Amino acid sequence: MEAYIAQGMHGLAYGMVLFLVASGLTLVLGMMGVLNMAHVNFFMLSAYLGYQVVAWTGSFWLALLIAPLLTAGAGILMERFLLKKVHAFGPMAELILTMGVAFIISDGVKAVWGTQNLPLSPPGSLSVLVNIAGVQYPAYRLFLIGLAVAILLLMALVLYKTRLGMIVRAAVADAGMVDALGINVPLVFMTVFGAGTWMAGVAGVAIAPILTVSPGLAAQMGMDAFIVIIVGGFGSLGGAFLVAILCGLLSAFGVQFLPQYASVLLFVFMAVVLAIKPEGLFGEKES
Amino acid sequence: MKRNLIWTLWAAGVAAVALFPHLFGVYYANALILFAVWALFAVSLNLLLGFTGLLSFGHAMYFGTGAYGAALALNHIKGLSIVPAVIIGMIAAVILALLIAPLVVRVSGTAFAMLHLAFAQLLYVLALKLRSITGGEDGISIYPRPDLNIFGLLRIEMNDQNFFYFAVIVIAAALSFLWFFTKTPFGQIMVGMRDNSKRIGYLGFKVTYTKAVVYAVSGGFAGLAGAIYALLQSLISTNDAYSMVVSVYPIMMVMLGGVLSYFGPIVGAAFFALIDEWIGSGQFQQLLLKLLSLLLPSSLAQRVSDFFQFEMILGLILVLVTLYWPLGLAGFIALQRMRWQMRRVSGGPQRSAT
Amino acid sequence: MKRTIRWMGAFAVFCWVSLFLLPAAMAVNAKYDFDHFPDMSDYDPNNIVKPEGDTIKIAIIAAFSGPAAAVGQSYLLPVGWVAHDINKRGGIMVDGKKKKIEIIIADNQNKPDVTLKVTERMILQEKVDILWGTSGSHLQKVINQLADKHKKISVNAISLSDELMDKDNFTKYAFMTCFSTEQIGRAFAYFYGQIRKKETKFYILNQDYLFGHSLAEGFKVGLKEYFPTAQIVGEDYHKLFLTDFAPYLTKIKTSGAEVIFTGDWIPDAANLLKQSRQMGVMLPFANIFLSDPTTLTEVGIEGTTGLMAISQSGTGNPVFKNEGIIKYFKVWDNLWKNKWAKPYNSLSYKYPMGALGTYMTSVYWLASVLERAGSTDPEKVIKVWEGDSYQTLGGKVMTMRACDHKMVTDLHIYEFVPPAQQKQCFNIEPYYWFEKCAGAGPVYEIPSDKAIPKADPELCKKN
Repeated sequence: MEAYIAQGMHGLAYGMVLFLVASGLTLVLGMMGVLNMAHVNFFMLSAYLGYQVVAWTGSFWLALLIAPLLTAGAGILMERFLLKKVHAFGPMAELILTMGVAFIISDGVKAVWGTQNLPLSPPGSLSVLVNIAGVQYPAYRLFLIGLAVAILLLMALVLYKTRLGMIVRAAVADAGMVDALGINVPLVFMTVFGAGTWMAGVAGVAIAPILTVSPGLAAQMGMDAFIVIIVGGFGSLGGAFLVAILCGLLSAFGVQFLPQYASVLLFVFMAVVLAIKPEGLFGEKES
Repeated sequence: MKRNLIWTLWAAGVAAVALFPHLFGVYYANALILFAVWALFAVSLNLLLGFTGLLSFGHAMYFGTGAYGAALALNHIKGLSIVPAVIIGMIAAVILALLIAPLVVRVSGTAFAMLHLAFAQLLYVLALKLRSITGGEDGISIYPRPDLNIFGLLRIEMNDQNFFYFAVIVIAAALSFLWFFTKTPFGQIMVGMRDNSKRIGYLGFKVTYTKAVVYAVSGGFAGLAGAIYALLQSLISTNDAYSMVVSVYPIMMVMLGGVLSYFGPIVGAAFFALIDEWIGSGQFQQLLLKLLSLLLPSSLAQRVSDFFQFEMILGLILVLVTLYWPLGLAGFIALQRMRWQMRRVSGGPQRSAT
Repeated sequence: MKRTIRWMGAFAVFCWVSLFLLPAAMAVNAKYDFDHFPDMSDYDPNNIVKPEGDTIKIAIIAAFSGPAAAVGQSYLLPVGWVAHDINKRGGIMVDGKKKKIEIIIADNQNKPDVTLKVTERMILQEKVDILWGTSGSHLQKVINQLADKHKKISVNAISLSDELMDKDNFTKYAFMTCFSTEQIGRAFAYFYGQIRKKETKFYILNQDYLFGHSLAEGFKVGLKEYFPTAQIVGEDYHKLFLTDFAPYLTKIKTSGAEVIFTGDWIPDAANLLKQSRQMGVMLPFANIFLSDPTTLTEVGIEGTTGLMAISQSGTGNPVFKNEGIIKYFKVWDNLWKNKWAKPYNSLSYKYPMGALGTYMTSVYWLASVLERAGSTDPEKVIKVWEGDSYQTLGGKVMTMRACDHKMVTDLHIYEFVPPAQQKQCFNIEPYYWFEKCAGAGPVYEIPSDKAIPKADPELCKKN
């Protein structure tokens, strides 16, 4: 029984991290129609920046604060100076542009930080085990779950309780109309893009103590994040949340019950969903 | 007069290809085959992208399936000749395309791209998982290459040189077929669909059906490219067949060369092959280092030139091309030509400026 | 009658085994020469000097770009070092001329298609004499195939799969200077069953591809042979570059395992160790690649104590057996501390032992073979190398089995203990390997006849 509780918690923790990465991706996709292929590379970049901040200051908390902000800054620059310019050429050009940025970031971090694995430890106060329902569970993973929930609440608050959130939601539905109402849509786009990369950045620093900071980080996380937004439905935040948790649980219990097929389980799940609903579980049908 | 010139050019081209392996040796002959494979792969992708406006982010699945189809056929059927092996690869890709078509023809744009990414990744993990069939990471080797056997009458051993001629002829034939395909009335419907699919629908053509046919043809020829590729490498593994970069490369070639032209992707593939060779052989880095040392102190020059690895250069090219040459090399040339003609009509820039 | 047959059988087995052992019992043909150890102070791996004139060209085929680029770097330093050592001695006399060794970097980006292309470039354009590589048996297979096609010597110092040298893939142009999967599995089984005799419950956790599976197979074969009472309480294969090991670790926790047997390499191995300690799973790992000091230091002394690492280049205690090797190490240490720049000043390059030692041995041996063959002609090289035995600078004797070109040697298993207890192994100042993690202390020898590399019966029947 304890094993199942533990697996459930692992699934929840991994699902939460997955959601942090995927939510930014799906937000940008839903609103701007841009699938940002470089999103997971920003995630990786933030992990490297986090490593650097820890190396300089020795404080993990400072890293968690600063690195995602720097990453968001890089994201905003990309939106402002690259994406915006090719917007007129259609989604294809945007897709390919972000692909290019992905390549540049992934070789860039190697040129700056080298290709070796860089260590980043959890802060001392969180590297202990906590007893939950008879299960010894690492405190850091609990913190991860809490962090993701906090960010989810924050996002929900902004989206549903503020004017900015209202505009964003309206822009997701019909950007042209919002523009016609005299609202500065490019500014809203930039904000959303920044927020999306910020969340990827938070996820990057937050997951670094569990993994090692290495050039393979983006690829490691990338495919799972894409599965989440494909299955959840493009642009659906609620869908991304549910599917991320589902994917986390599926990986954890997959290992427990179907270890031989654990690696393909997520993909099969995706294929089944797509065969029935090509637009994803919570996606809207294209006209 | 002009006709004669064209014929002479053609003859010169054929002679150059025929003499190529003798003049430049096996290494560059293989590089030329690789370019031809890429060109066919890129053209097959552009059949979707340029002619129907659909971007597939997972075209590797057809390339890879063609490659695996040929390799598996050769490993399981004793004494199979090279031609049926290639055809089996192509058919495998077409079957896959027909299976997937019903799922994807309903969507377009980003959703179409994403679905392909998803399905290609699914094939990738499956190929890794089903090691007993695909050999997993190790892949399947086709070593030595099978002979060319024409109804038992003629048997040609596929050494590097003969394989060069075989590959070049097959790919040239495929490219010409595709060229005529785009010129048929059917091909014109495709273009119409890209520009305004509703209108084509109103004109009484079946949009979904047309999409499915184009899709299958595109998949089939990507499979053919894959089959030739497997034979060239004497090996096909999951990474060469289904990994994401295999899907990304032809997109880059199409973007480089130009989406709207039939020959654009071929030019793009040539460009890509040159860059690949240039970087792969280390010549680019040496040149860059030399140039940088003129401007910067040597340690800094080394540091800066270290930044420009393969992926970095690919990334920069992608970004710059989408920013400044959205229609690729072919579009750029067409634009220049148009400007030049405009200038001639209006009687030169000086006058138009005043 | 029955008894006679049994005796005849036993006799046949005896003959077999002794034939394998024969080369090891003979005096070595060549060994590392400490007496002429040159001045190495000008060696800089970031700036390897290209020798003048006619050279012996060795291509290092490995990933020098892409996510695995650190791999190529870790080969360049040791191979370049050996070349520098030999060049400083004046080079090697081949084909009537003293030639120096030139290293050529061949970046395969860790991909099969690029490996093929770059290896072809090395053979046809660069006209190299030796192909030296590479991590990933699927990539090594490509190199060996081309070596066979173009009749070039290929040295495999890294890829551990037995399949590379079975009857389907064997080529006389390829030599394997590293140990192999089944051998490693059996050596560990021998260690736990015949030497340590303590833990009995094992959990196998490997990467889900050919290498991981055949390693596990070897361990199971070995347990049957040497440790029939042992229990495998669980067996899992995870995908490469896994993010979250927690679900596997929970299974391991509940299985009652006493040892985790893993062939994972970095980064998977690092993440596995790190996450297991974070989750309070303090079990020892029987491992091959958990030796990266950066990871070990991060996990700390407590978390790394009890690890069991297998090595092919290591020797019995102590490590610094004579003046020659102490001097050799001091020269290295001085350069590492004062001269080498990023990335070669990191902890991973502190000692010319372990994996680095393996790569260096492979090139020293090759150079010695070339010298004795007096030629780079592949046929002459093969003649000398088959059945050859060589003593490394650590004092270990390695033999090249003639029938399938696999290296035969004693293996060693190192038990990781806290720095204060490492003196028996690290017998010079400061008497420990690394300050902030456990390191090798007690060493256990697995005699070569107890874990002989797997031999394909169709290749090795004539011996």
